[in-house]
Formats: sequence, C-alpha cells, structure tokens
Amino acid sequence: MLKMTSVRKTFRTDTIETHALRDFDLQVEEGDFVAVTGPSGSGKTTFLNVAGLLETFDDGDYQLDGKSVQGMNDRQLAQLRNEKIGFIFQSFNLLPDLNLFDNVDVPLRYRGFNSAERKQRIEQALETVGLANRMGHYPAQLSGGQQQRVAIARALAGSPRFLLADEPTGNLDSNMASGVLDLLSEINAQGTTIIMVTHDPSLAQRAQRNIFVRDGQVTEVQTGTNIQELLQQTAQV
Amino acid sequence: MNQIGPIFRALLRNKVGALLLALQIALTMTIIVNAIHMIENRSSMMARESGMDEANQFHLMYVGYKDSFNERVAVETDLLEIRKLNGVVDATQINSTPLSGGGWSMGLTTTPNSQDGTPVSLYFVDDHGLNTLGVELVAGENFSQTEVTYRLSNDKQWPQNILLTEAAAKNLFPDLTPAEMIGQTVFIRDDEPMTIKGIIDHLQAPWVQWSNVNNVMLVPQRGLWNANRYLVRTAPGERDRLMREVEELLLAKRDGRLIRNVTAMDEQRDDAYQDFFALQTVLWVIVTVLTLVTALGIVGMVSFTVNQRRKQIGTRRALGATKGDIMRQFMLENLLITGSGLIIGVASSIALNIWLVDTFSLPRIGWHYLPIAMVVLVIVGQLAVLGPARKAANLSPALATRTT
Amino acid sequence: MIAYYGRLALLSLKKNVLLTGLMIAAIGLGIGAAMTTITVNYLMSADPIPSKSDRLFAVQVDNWSPNEAYDEPNLPPDQVTWLEATQLTEAKMAYRQAGMGTSYGVIEPKGKDQKPYLASVRITYADFFPMFEPPFLYGSGWSTQADEARELVIVLSKEANNEIFGGANSVGETVTFSGNVFRVVGVLDEWEPKPKFFDLATGAFNDMEDVYMPYTLKQALELDTSGNNNCWKPIAEETFQAFLNSECVNSQFWVEFEDPDDKHAYLDFLHNYVAEQKQLGRFPREQNNRLHNVMEWLEYQEVVADDAQMMMYMALMFLIVCLLNTIALLLAKFTGRFGEIALRRAVGASRRTLMLQYSVEAAIVGVLGGLVGLILAWLGLQGISALYGDSTEGLTSLDGTMIAVGFALAIVSSILAALYPTWRACSIAPAGQLKTQ
Repeated sequence: MLKMTSVRKTFRTDTIETHALRDFDLQVEEGDFVAVTGPSGSGKTTFLNVAGLLETFDDGDYQLDGKSVQGMNDRQLAQLRNEKIGFIFQSFNLLPDLNLFDNVDVPLRYRGFNSAERKQRIEQALETVGLANRMGHYPAQLSGGQQQRVAIARALAGSPRFLLADEPTGNLDSNMASGVLDLLSEINAQGTTIIMVTHDPSLAQRAQRNIFVRDGQVTEVQTGTNIQELLQQTAQV
Repeated sequence: MNQIGPIFRALLRNKVGALLLALQIALTMTIIVNAIHMIENRSSMMARESGMDEANQFHLMYVGYKDSFNERVAVETDLLEIRKLNGVVDATQINSTPLSGGGWSMGLTTTPNSQDGTPVSLYFVDDHGLNTLGVELVAGENFSQTEVTYRLSNDKQWPQNILLTEAAAKNLFPDLTPAEMIGQTVFIRDDEPMTIKGIIDHLQAPWVQWSNVNNVMLVPQRGLWNANRYLVRTAPGERDRLMREVEELLLAKRDGRLIRNVTAMDEQRDDAYQDFFALQTVLWVIVTVLTLVTALGIVGMVSFTVNQRRKQIGTRRALGATKGDIMRQFMLENLLITGSGLIIGVASSIALNIWLVDTFSLPRIGWHYLPIAMVVLVIVGQLAVLGPARKAANLSPALATRTT
Repeated sequence: MIAYYGRLALLSLKKNVLLTGLMIAAIGLGIGAAMTTITVNYLMSADPIPSKSDRLFAVQVDNWSPNEAYDEPNLPPDQVTWLEATQLTEAKMAYRQAGMGTSYGVIEPKGKDQKPYLASVRITYADFFPMFEPPFLYGSGWSTQADEARELVIVLSKEANNEIFGGANSVGETVTFSGNVFRVVGVLDEWEPKPKFFDLATGAFNDMEDVYMPYTLKQALELDTSGNNNCWKPIAEETFQAFLNSECVNSQFWVEFEDPDDKHAYLDFLHNYVAEQKQLGRFPREQNNRLHNVMEWLEYQEVVADDAQMMMYMALMFLIVCLLNTIALLLAKFTGRFGEIALRRAVGASRRTLMLQYSVEAAIVGVLGGLVGLILAWLGLQGISALYGDSTEGLTSLDGTMIAVGFALAIVSSILAALYPTWRACSIAPAGQLKTQ
C-alpha cells in the first residue's frame, strides 16, 4: 500500500542543515492502523507531509499503491491526494466561510463528481460522523469534537484508500478525543488504511502497529510497548 | 470547474468586504464611462475641420495709429507685395478667421422682415479669399475683382453678391440643391436683399462652441477700420519663413501702424481647443490613476486575503486542489465581485450621464461604452488578481499540517 | 496612553508596508485630485471684493426685441447700451454709479527706442475707482468734473506704466493715445481681481485693461468698441452717433449703495426710467429690471466653468473610490487581527480604548495621506496651470484655507473610512476568537 525506502529529506537555511528524514524506511499494508509517535522535532510531521504528498523528498523511493511518486508533477500529486488520501488535521482546518455541506464538498469538487453523487456522498459522510442534521451550520457554530468529526467526514467522503491523521485529537479534551478515536477505529475496521501521527502514547496503544520516529529514522515497536519510556529515553539521549 | 456555488455562498458570508469592492468597481466604471464619454465628446468637436488649409496658413493683425496711415493704399500695396513673395500661394484681407474666437455674426432671412433668421458669421474678403482660405466652390462663382468694394466703420450698406457655406444655405433653403441656390435672394438687416453668387463646401465660424459653427457668409469687401487682419496661404513648408518675411515687409514700411499676433493657423487651432485638450488631459489622468488605484486595491485586498487564508489554501491543496484550482478560485471570486460591481456600474453610469446631460447639457453616452468598460474592467480585475493568485497557488500544501 | 496607541499604530502600519502604502497612496491620490479641482472651483467662485460685494450691484434693463428675449427664460441682456451707460450714470440715483465699456488704441512711443504700444482701454466714470477700489501706486482716479468736461485724462495700469515710463511716477506726464495727448492722473498697483466680476462679457478671468479713461470720451473721440457688442435692431444711420444711440448692448453699468436695502428704491427708479424710455419708443418688452450684487452676479453669469465643475465632481467620485478602497483595506487588516483584538479584550481592554487605538492608527494614515494629497494637489495645480495657460492665472494657488481644508478632508475621510472596520473589530466578543484558529 505504502512503501518508503531510504527516503531522505533535508531542510536548509543559510546556516543550518536539518535532516528531517534520514534513510526513512517504512512499509504499510492495506488495512493497517499505524500510529506514529516520536519526540518533537523527530521528523513526524515531515514524514506525514511526505507520505501525504504535501512535500517532496530529496532522495529514496516512495511507492503509493504500487506506484512510485518520484517525478510526478503537481497536477498528478494533487490528483493522488484527492483520490487516494484523506487528511485529518490537528486543528481541523475547516474552511470557516463554508457550511458543513460545502466543507465536505471541497475534495469532491476537485474530484469532478457530478452534483448528485457529491450530494449523496456528503450526506453519507456526515451521516457516518453523526452530523447529517447540521449540514447548514458553519464551523464556528460547532464544538471542537464536532468540528473534527466534520473534518473526518470530509476526509472520508471521497472514499480514500488511506487516511492520514495528524494529531487528530491534539486540540480536543479526552472525552472528545476518545470519541474521535472510536470513529477512526470503526473506519479502519471497514478497510481504510490509517496512519496517525500522535504524541499521546495512550492513543498510540489503540493502533495495530506502532512506529517510533527518532532523528528522522524509524523504529518499529511492538504494540503495547511503553512509548512513554521510549520518549523519556530519547530525551536523555 | 464549477465552484461558483460555494464561492458565492462564502462571499455572502463576507458581505461587507465584497460589497465594498463591488461598489468601488461600480463607481470606477461610472467615472470611467462618463469621463471617456466627455473625452470622446471633446475629441469629436476637435476633429471638426475648419475648412481651411491650416498647415500652410497664417494671419497677422495691423493697427494704424498715425493720421498719416492711409489704410486703403496700404492694404492694396501690401496684398500685391505679399502675393508676389516667393512661396506665397495667395493672401487676402479678412476681418476674422475660423478658430479665432472673435468675429461678426448677422441674421439672414429668405423673406424681408421675417422673424426667424439664420445666423451666419461674416468674413470680409476680396476675390482672393477663396483661394487663400483654401475652400472649394460647390456651385456658382467666386467674386470678381471689380465687385470688391471698401467698407468704412459705420457703413450699413451691403454688397449685391455674397457666397455662403453649403450648411448656411441649407438652413435658408432646405429643399434646394446647391445649383438651385445660386441666384436666390436673402435679406440682411431686415429688408436689404443680397444674391447668392456661389456656394462653398465648408468653412467654420470663428467660435468653435457656437451651435451654428458651419454657417458662414463671405462678403466681397475690404474693411477700412484702421485695424484688420491679413490671411496668407503659403506653399507647403514655406510658412514659418514667410511669417517672418511678411512681418518684416510690413514693418519696414514704417507707415504709422503696428503689427501684432502673427499666428500660424495650427497654433490658432491649439489655442482654440486649449481648454478642450486640458479637460481631456485631466480626465485621462483621473481615469488612469483611478484604474490604477482600483487595480492596486484589488491586488492589496487579494494579497491580504491570500495571507489570511494561507492555511485554508494549504488545506485545499492537501485535499486535492491543483495549483490551477487555487488560481481559478481566486480569479473566479474576483470575477463574481467585479461582475456584480459592473452590474451596479451600468445603472450608476447611466444615472450619472443623465445628470450630466441635465446639468451640463452633455450628449447621451453611446450604449457601446458600457460593454466596453465592463470588459476592460473585468480584464483589469483579473490581471490584478493574477499576481496574488499565483502566489496563493504556489503556497505549499504542507501549510495544512502546520499548527500555527 | 495616546503615545502608546501611536506606537502600536506605527508598529501595525510597519508590519504590513504594502497595505499601509496602498492606503496612504489611495487617500493621498483621492485628496490630491479632490483638492486640485476644489481649489480651482473655490478660486473661480471666490468673492473678488469681500469688503463690499453685498453693496455693489450689476444693473440689467431689458431693451431687447419685442419678438424674442435676449436669452431664455425671458432674461434681459447682460450688458447695457451706450444710452443707458451714460444716462443712468448721469442720473446719479445711487450712492455711486459707473457705466463702462472697453476700447483699444495705440499709445505712441515716447522715445526713439520705444515701440508703439497697443493698449486695451477701460472707459468708465470717476466713480469706478472708489467703487471697485483698485490700489493706486501714484496719483488717483479722475474727478466727476473731468467726466463732464471730457478731459483727456488717463490712469495707467502698473504694467502700462512700466512699459511707457519704465515704472517711474508718471503722474502729470502725457501720453499720446490714438493721436490725442492725455494727461496721466494716476498709476495703479498690481490689480487682478479674479473673477473680473464687473465685466464678464468676454471671459470671467481675462486680464485687466492696460489703461483707464473717461467713458464720455467715447462719443467725443469716437473710440472703437471692443469686447462684446450685441444688437437686435439695425442701426438707423451710417454715423457714429447712430451707433451710440442704437439698441446695441456693449457696456456695463454698476451701482454702489450705502445700504444693500437701497436697491428697492433704485429698482423703483429704474422702473420710472424705463417707463420714460418707453414714451420715447424704446424698450418694447415688458419691464424686466434686475439688480444682482457681486456674488449673485457671478452665480447668475455662471462664472464657474462647467468644465471645472465636471472635473470637480469626477475628482470627488474618485475620492470616494479611494475611500472605499481604504475602508476595504482597513477592514481586511483589522479582520486579520481579530485574534489580537480578542486577546486585548480578554486582558481587559474596553471597547472604547480599542476604538481609540484603531482610530489613532487610521488618523496616522489620514495625516500621511493628507500630506501626500497636498503634494499631489500642488503638482496637480501646476499641471492645470500648464495645461490651461494664462486663463487660469491666479486660480491655481493653494492658500492656507485650502491647505487646512485638505488636511481636514484627509483626516475626516480616513477616520470615516476607519469607522466601520474599527466598529467591526471592536464588537467581537473577548472569548470567541481565542477558541478557534
């Protein structure tokens, strides 16, 4: 499904060179629910950006669904994002001037579905997250948990092959967070591959696979490993 | 790419900002349409031909101030000598010229003591008048040398024959052809008859803003009024030299007069239309700067919006928008605002024009101004958005995952 | 506290140089265009003689054709005939009165190295000088006796005196005008009332005449008539006197009252005068006598050119566009700071103090825009005077009043422009914006 081999990504400013990803290797299978943890600055977000085709990488190979994304142009990347990937962001990233319906509609428009199909998908997606009755509301009228559920609906509406979630519960209280996580598990159970970046070990526990990123490299850890400890070790190093 | 629905709904959420821009566009259109209309109106007035050979003519004024100045002798010898100068095509005495802003007008009628006269402006010329002015006879004949008489300051008598412009004659005899007008009688000073000896094609009265500017009567008389004008027509390219030579020739006579206002006809034209030209320039400046201000306003607004919406744009990109989609979104948003502004603009342009027509008796605008202005402003708006929209399109999709 | 707001404002203005620059430029351009055209209009409609403009009256009587009015709707001629100019002046029914007209002639050279000088002439009566108060460098006007005795006296403009006498005190000297020897009784200082209100016939902003001499000499010396001559009735005979006695209007007639209310008595007098003239077979139309004081006269004669007005309206609309522009930009700017505003509200800033803070920012933009606007207005006026040439001399200078008006306009309009954006910004709830984003 997703295969990264020796992916390298370096950020340069005039004075500093930061190796965000160094020989990053990862393989994610269809149907996986992968939690990615790691200390701040370890390269989690860069990994997510590269995996989500939001950023290019410098070296190595990345195959998505069996196809190398290396050398694809902007249009092709956009199309891949649109069709195969659903995004869930820490701060929801709903468009404040659009109501829920139009928010969920955004990726579907870029997909080029006709209006009947869009309507059906939007309604179904909002149904899935339990907000179908609030389609005409604007994001500001919702609680944080509800907003994130809208974002999940938006990510789901195009039936992507996998979901990329960036600290999906980072801005939520634990109650809401667990609700969102339940939703993600449910989606995963229906066959969607999920990669979730989180710094919260207790959330990571709920994924099938746990990956620990440190200094831009991957350590695969067993589910149930005390990630808290790993984090502390890292801090000591 | 069908995004109009959501963009429009989002605009409605942001009413005031969009409305302000739309109003600005509407007013811009209103000003531009009416200003260009005024400019065009003046241009068409300036484009009217005087009927003369302006590039090769000049005139000058003499004023006698000594009792010893014998005007009749002076005029006769002056004209003979000027006509003999190398490069002079012809010369005549004339009381005034087109574009000069000062002259003499009278009313002509077709029946004696009639109430409604046709106003005509008068030029007193001799038999060389036609050739010097550079006008063509359409029908009839030029004055003969023998019928040219002298006119004193308080003379009331009018000569037997006159020439009229076709426009003036048409006013008097709407139903006659130029050939049929020859020999017709017109009346001046209520009941003094004169005969139309010839019809000339076109010549303007001295006042460019006069409603009867094409009504001219040529009178075969030389004025002995102690102050008068000569008009000289030269061969192409010889005028500037002859302006100096003729002035020197007259000054050298030292016969108790002074020479003033040696003026080339095209300089006279510039003077006559100086105010028109000035108004046009001012309006052009306003139109240009206004368009610039509006365009820069759009650039500023959109740049700012792009900055505000960096994260939103990143999100859209993450959700699958191509660079082109982002560009199109901003262009479309601008098109909607500009479009609604232009629709208001059509109404307000017409309203302003009606007011201008009432207050300053300006003509109505031609309907074609409206679509042209709309197209131009749409293009200006789209061009203004292009830069910021491109900047927006080039924002990284990774902005979506930034927390701030 | 104001200083603190000032610092905040400058910080915020500096933070977004493009936007700030745009706003200042927009206000500056709008103010510049408006000020340029307002100045021209203001100077065109200025009171040329403020000390007594309410006591000087232009007189109109209607000697025009029985068949058509001089101008619609039933307006009397703008000028009067030689007959009225002389008879009404000599009637002396007002505190002061002066008929006047224009002529021209050649002043002959005094020395070998001088050239003959073509002079424009205002012919008028002795009262002209105390009525219109031209400043004298040397000497004074002539006396009423000089009018009656048709003395060959002349008053020179400063320019003419420079031309003929090199600027020296020429009172008592003689000049030869069209073959007649005149005695100089006075020399004027610089005198260019704008508009040239007492004679608008050939242009409201024309130059003053070169020399002044008694109106009574027109008949005595058969002086040529210049300016605007309008006739509705053929002149009876081929003599100069017939021309003078004709119904051709080519002169102006002004009166001065000690009290503006004296005009009613004077209108009665005019009524009687016209009635008498009717007895003599003149004045075929109904009585239509009018008195306009200076400002009424300028209004009646539409001295402010249509073009100048059109330009002003265009420029004012342009200013509105610039203001809309500024409002939109400020709104965008303040909207972008909702987070900051909410924070300030949360830490205890009242709505009022925030209003103040943002108004200070707007006012700074206004002052800077005003400065830019004044510079542009100055440039604009230079441009206008270059484009229009001499005819706008004296109409294109910024005086203190206009500078003050310009600044006031700039500050008021920028604060007005800031009003809505500020209100919007300050009316957000302290908490609301902190939660999302």
